[in-house]
Amino acid sequence: MNLGFVVGVFGVLILSHAAYSTIQYRGLLKIMEEEFSRPPMNVILELIIGLALCMWAALTFPGKFLSIHPDSDENRAVSLPDSSEFMIFNHRGRLFPPEIDMKF
Amino acid sequence: MVTKTEETELNQLENQVENGGGGVWEYLSLVRKLKVRRSEIVLKHGLSILNDPGKRSALGPDEWTLYEQVAIAAMDCQSLNVAQNCIKVLKKKFPESKRVGKLEALLLEAKGMWEEAEKAYTSLLEDNPLDQVIHKRKVAMAKAQGKPSLAIEHLNKYLEVFMADHDAWRELAEIYVSLQMYKQAAFCYEELILTQPTLPLYHLAYADVLYTIGGLENLIAARKYYAATIDLTGGKSTRALLGICLCGSAIAQLSKGRNKEDKDMAAPELQSLAATALEREYKQKAPAKLNLLSSALRSLKISS
Repeated sequence: MNLGFVVGVFGVLILSHAAYSTIQYRGLLKIMEEEFSRPPMNVILELIIGLALCMWAALTFPGKFLSIHPDSDENRAVSLPDSSEFMIFNHRGRLFPPEIDMKF
Repeated sequence: MVTKTEETELNQLENQVENGGGGVWEYLSLVRKLKVRRSEIVLKHGLSILNDPGKRSALGPDEWTLYEQVAIAAMDCQSLNVAQNCIKVLKKKFPESKRVGKLEALLLEAKGMWEEAEKAYTSLLEDNPLDQVIHKRKVAMAKAQGKPSLAIEHLNKYLEVFMADHDAWRELAEIYVSLQMYKQAAFCYEELILTQPTLPLYHLAYADVLYTIGGLENLIAARKYYAATIDLTGGKSTRALLGICLCGSAIAQLSKGRNKEDKDMAAPELQSLAATALEREYKQKAPAKLNLLSSALRSLKISS
């Protein structure tokens, strides 16, 4: 879990660094009076790396995913709970006391 | 609602506990969480923990929950002395507790002293007139004394106030089915399906009731609900598959004299698909009974 967290923080830092360098690049272009079409290649590369790191962290950090299929083994209801609030003690098991002599 | 993974975990823990391995406390907590009724095993192993003062103090504050669980299990297994002792210990620790009062009234019920239990519940209700558990115990007492009509009356009054209680609706449906009042039981199951539409067991029970009432529209509706169950369980419900085969043949029999105006277009593929799925499942799980199944399915198709 810690590794995912660290990688996530690192990815966010890389993205913010890419944003900062893009802003600086735009300032430079304004001085040189050229149009701003797209950020330089190294910033794009940095963006892709940041995206990969953040996605990896987002998938590993939260932990185990739950299944959403209604018929998977975790979600499939096999039996309903025996209604313990309506339980009666008047059943035929009354005539079969447990063999082991319980004492308390 | 017990899921498949929880069920396998429960069985595994049960085997482990019964064969002398450890894990008794996890088993007891799982039984408490899933609300299943395994009274003998709970009683045996719960008592083994309670009789051992070392293990008892290791539980800390959960000790009292264990006392309560063992008391109820003891009442279910008719070991009333054990239950009495557990309740005595609890009463010493929590003298003015309503929960212990409920347990005492439960013990009176288990002993069969209905009037005293009735009095105890009425006095508890005076202090707290909106206590759900006590109302339900009154219903259970009426059921245990063999007066299902009284139980139905109490349960209806209870459901007018607490309409969202699934257990109560289910109990009412089961009482109606036991009295063969199928239309009312169908109404209860409809309420259940409305509140919890993703639970395939309610669809299955509703389809069973519809199939029992009979008649062409009910049979068609029953087939739709069996199909819904198969959809929700991914085809793992044998009962629903069999239900579709039976519905198909019953519908074909009923609509023999009429012209082809009913919606029987789905019937042939649905029935044969269900039959194939059934045979595959039997081949996997019970190959010895496969012949029985095949001959039964063939006789259904022949008679239709």
